[in-house]
Amino acid sequence: MSESTMVRVRGLSKIYERGGEQLKVLSGLDLDLAEGTFEALMGPSGSGKSTLLNIIAGLDRPSSGTVEVKGEDISRLSESALATWRSRTLGFIFQSYNLMPVLTALENVELPLLLTKLGGAERKKRAEIALRIVGLEQRMDHYPRQLSGGQEQRVAIARAIVNDPAIIVADEPTGDLDRQSADDILTLLEKLAKDMNKTILMVTHDPVAADRATKVHRLDKGALSS
Amino acid sequence: MTFLGLSAKNALRNRFRTVLTVLGVAIAVLAFVMLRTVVWAYNVGVEAAAPDRIVTRHKVTFVMQLPKRYIDTIRQEPGVTVATWANWFGGKDPKHDREFFSTLAVDPETYFQVYTDVAVAPADLAAFKENRRGAIVGDVIAKKFGWKVGDKVSLKSPIFPGDWEFAISGIYTATRKSVDRSTFLFHWNYLNEGMAARQRDQIGWVVAKVSNPARTADMSLAIDRKFDERDTQTLSQSEGAFNASFLGMFTAVLKAIDVVSIVIIGIMMLILGNTIAMGARERTQEYGALRAIGFLPRHLAVFVLGESFTIGVLGGTVGLLLSYPIVQLGMGRFLEENMGSFFPYFRISPGNALLAMLLAVGMSLVAAGIPAWNVTRLRVVDALRRVA
Ligand SMILES: Nc1ncnc2c1ncn2[C@@H]1O[C@H](COP(=O)(O)OP(=O)(O)OP(=O)(O)O)[C@@H](O)[C@H]1O
Ligand SMILES: [Mg+2]
Repeated sequence: MSESTMVRVRGLSKIYERGGEQLKVLSGLDLDLAEGTFEALMGPSGSGKSTLLNIIAGLDRPSSGTVEVKGEDISRLSESALATWRSRTLGFIFQSYNLMPVLTALENVELPLLLTKLGGAERKKRAEIALRIVGLEQRMDHYPRQLSGGQEQRVAIARAIVNDPAIIVADEPTGDLDRQSADDILTLLEKLAKDMNKTILMVTHDPVAADRATKVHRLDKGALSS
Repeated sequence: MTFLGLSAKNALRNRFRTVLTVLGVAIAVLAFVMLRTVVWAYNVGVEAAAPDRIVTRHKVTFVMQLPKRYIDTIRQEPGVTVATWANWFGGKDPKHDREFFSTLAVDPETYFQVYTDVAVAPADLAAFKENRRGAIVGDVIAKKFGWKVGDKVSLKSPIFPGDWEFAISGIYTATRKSVDRSTFLFHWNYLNEGMAARQRDQIGWVVAKVSNPARTADMSLAIDRKFDERDTQTLSQSEGAFNASFLGMFTAVLKAIDVVSIVIIGIMMLILGNTIAMGARERTQEYGALRAIGFLPRHLAVFVLGESFTIGVLGGTVGLLLSYPIVQLGMGRFLEENMGSFFPYFRISPGNALLAMLLAVGMSLVAAGIPAWNVTRLRVVDALRRVA
């Protein structure tokens, strides 16, 4: 494994059982993600993009195969160890933002830091920095409902980077956005990969979005092609 | 921002639903406090009874009378320091003929020696003893009817025909919770002399004060044994037991009230549990996102429990705040004034207030138990897939 490989997937299979029937979604695929690259994952609906992303992110377990992140096999970790691992290593961006409506932008960004030992002042400072990176320093005290979709997604990105993770996973982050807002988000993701050396894996249906990535993986019938 | 702060914010998220649930809990707490206070106030008469008084009445029922000479026998009993007697007059003020209050014909000399918890100014007591038609009345009834010292009062009785004229000599207050502050006390001699000769010299019951409260049971038996061979047998009991037998017919009702108060808490729990479960279900995707970020199942359980706890505390507080004016000032005052012989002291006890609050908070946590448990078993991937 080369020095710069962040994620290394080998022989990954995922089989769902439904009513005695087996549904093979991923069948023995390999994937490498290099550090500091912005890669896209495309494929038809139901091809298993989210499933693959979730397994790499430690939210789901493979039926067989290994997922190594920074050389560590994450399928060996227990549920609670995985949760801690996620809070330190991963940032999540969802299609529907998933912000807490009762919290301000700043508080939403601060949320992952509640799991750390940082004091209140330090948490706030880091959340402010993250919001500045996504260009929302003017909206810190706004609630999600007072923000546009694009702004909400930028708050979600600030939340994803506040604990300085090595990897960011994004499942259709521009799916709910108009062209202009989507472009802004993609520019931001590009910048995070280039300037902050984040490894980003983005699932998307949008060819325009995929074009912005350094590399595009295509998933079909359980196997990958580039 | 803290964990509990976040769950409190979640609790207030759906304002309308939260307000309704808080009101539901508050009303349950109010009803609980109300019912518990009825039971408690009933028992005050028994529990707060004087430990050193023995009541002797007709063996069959306290409606039947005893010969007056029995008082002398009881006074001779060793250990009895002082004894007095009273008759039930059943008087009513025609001006207030819907109002019930106790009217007792008593011995002015000894009544207040036995009932040391009935407090009268010495000058008023002296005036009462001097005036054959004098009366001493409780401060609650005096206030209610606007009676003042010197007022003339005319009462009628279904038992003793005629107009009975009295002059208020004094007003008593109570130093013990079990004392009915609405009683009308007057001279037994006035009643006795007003009756036909063959009905005279009968007394309703005897109350003896004893030197050793620990011996009331033995002494009660000893007194009754003295009258075993006479025409009229007696039943002697401590004042507490006497009050209990007087109120005894209501024990079944009290039991029922107790059960209902528990049922109300149960219903409250179901309402609260339902609200919490609805909220938790609606937030499944959000909880999924929190789990993805790295929050643990127990963090989510804390969110759910904290949310319920917030509602429980709010509901309990609002319920108690409503209880004091409604139960204590409204109902309590009415019952003390109108049903003083059953509810001489109708107040919310600190114990009942505390119990209501603890139940509201405790039940809120129990109610959130199942939703909290469910949320810990959430599979992150499934939770995230659920579209809001
Ligand atoms: N828990 C599950 N049990 C059974 N089948 C599942 C489960 N989760 C996903 N699947 C199936 O696995 C397949 C892949 O699902 P996945 O969500 O990964 O697809 P996707 O490529 O992300 O699709 P989309 O583009 O629509 O989001 C689908 O056929 C889906 O029905
Ligand atoms: Mg998907």
